[in-house]
Amino acid sequence: MLAMPALRRPGLLISAVVAITVPGVLAIVAWLGPDHTAARATAFAGAGAREAATGSGELYDYAETAQDGMGIQLLGESAAAGLAVSYQGVELLAQSGVAGQDTIVSDVWHSGGVTVTQTSDAAMLTGTQPYVSYDVDNHSPEGVFGVTKTLVSLLGQHYVAVYQGTGSAVGRPALIVELHRADGSLAARFWLDKQTMVPLRREVFDTSARLISEEAFVQVQFGALTKPPGPTAASGAKASAKASAGGGAATPSGSDWSAVTAPAQLLAGLNKQGWRLPVSLPGGLPLYSAARSTTAGGQVLDLGYSDGLSVVSLFVQRGTLAQRPAGWQQVSLPGHQVYVAGHSIMWAGGGFVYTMLADAPPLVVTQVVASLPQNTAPGFFGRIMRGFRRLAAVADPFH
Amino acid sequence: MTHLGEQISALIDGELTGSELDRANAHLAACERCRAEAAEMRQLKRALRALFEVDGDDDLTGRLLAMAGPGGPVPSRQDRREQYRRGRGKGPRDKRPRDRGRRDDGDAPRSRARYVVWSAVSLFVVGIGAAAFSMGGGGGAPAPKITPQLEMFSVEHAIVSGTVPEPDQTTAGASVTRP
Repeated sequence: MLAMPALRRPGLLISAVVAITVPGVLAIVAWLGPDHTAARATAFAGAGAREAATGSGELYDYAETAQDGMGIQLLGESAAAGLAVSYQGVELLAQSGVAGQDTIVSDVWHSGGVTVTQTSDAAMLTGTQPYVSYDVDNHSPEGVFGVTKTLVSLLGQHYVAVYQGTGSAVGRPALIVELHRADGSLAARFWLDKQTMVPLRREVFDTSARLISEEAFVQVQFGALTKPPGPTAASGAKASAKASAGGGAATPSGSDWSAVTAPAQLLAGLNKQGWRLPVSLPGGLPLYSAARSTTAGGQVLDLGYSDGLSVVSLFVQRGTLAQRPAGWQQVSLPGHQVYVAGHSIMWAGGGFVYTMLADAPPLVVTQVVASLPQNTAPGFFGRIMRGFRRLAAVADPFH
Repeated sequence: MTHLGEQISALIDGELTGSELDRANAHLAACERCRAEAAEMRQLKRALRALFEVDGDDDLTGRLLAMAGPGGPVPSRQDRREQYRRGRGKGPRDKRPRDRGRRDDGDAPRSRARYVVWSAVSLFVVGIGAAAFSMGGGGGAPAPKITPQLEMFSVEHAIVSGTVPEPDQTTAGASVTRP
């Protein structure tokens, strides 16, 4: 009976409905905006973390049955040795990517916290300038063949490290450590120099037991070193260093990047500003590092995702691609048209340019690319919804 | 003997008076032909009148008056149903909205207010939709044109991943231009 007066006045009824519906829709759209996406991503990451925790319980059981706590300990010692021990040699890296297999050769010189690297491809057609990296506070994430302190700690959360005995690599006695997945399949095998504990060789396998990456010293020397390859830092080699203490703190002179101590908080803040940055990537790769730098094109964000073995660096910049990049191969991946050069993949989407460098199985790389924004026409309703989101953001007094 | 001719029609219509009426009646009494003609004409006239004659139903008249007037009573649905049951509901069905039957002098401003509200709501919805469509476009501040600095990224990736930097396999320079 109470509804009868309203029914007799359809104008008032419609007004009331619109007055309730429009702010409601705006509120819902605002709630479903980037913040909510980030919140859902965080929730997803939380679920992933719980899953990983469950998995890690199984891993620890597996480790106990394998009579091994030693494998991860050896890898930890190897990560420390990669920083402390002086070495010089030639590294060979063969890796499968989405556009085929690449093989590169590097001359490496490391001593006293300074590393000089000069890299070229196998055909010696192109090469980097020698660059010098400084481990000024002895906390640098640098390492040999992906064996760094940070990544080893992640390995312990996602894999079982099993000491498999001794062997040899590049003519030197070595300790062999294998990484196994929760299902028991082989994920990687390391040869650690028995004398110095520096990694000598690493092989990585995908879930089908195919070798997808092989890194090895083809020549190595420890102790007394000759002079570093190419020109020294003092004579113009490129320098790179990273401050590892203090979020966004000023880096040493010559540094390009500022590390961020709270990557998840940084992502949450940027996602509120319209960035679309995931807290985890497909393939079980959680965010573990972030760094910022500024170029002529504006701010660049480097996000590191890893499970300890696969590492994906995602560089994100506001803008669009300047032009069809020369020297890049256009490749069609599911959901994306991307440009590929070696292990670098580049594309534009949603007002941002993404450049991804990945040491990961091609399947994981493809899934990661498909999960990130791409440039597509929004369509009529997509445009309307995007407009509502922007209206809601403008009308939000707390924004 | 002269027949009545056109005077028959005037006689039947009652238009003859006085001596003309007396002469016509005297002629009819003596002339069989004119009598027959007058009889036919009367019959024809009755038939025509019957064609246009409307049954003077009081109820129908009342309802027609109610439709014409602004404040006339409209029988309730129950009354109409009873009338129909009694076989008297032969009139046209009342299709007007019930509210109209209750209209009084205060209904005119209410109707205007209703139109105003409808117009305002329509304008508001259309305006919000147009604004959302406009704001949802790809316009806005022109985005900078980016050529990623691959060598810089490669070195950074090498540091965090503990590997060696990949050589730049492109010939593109590390440059950034703004639109």
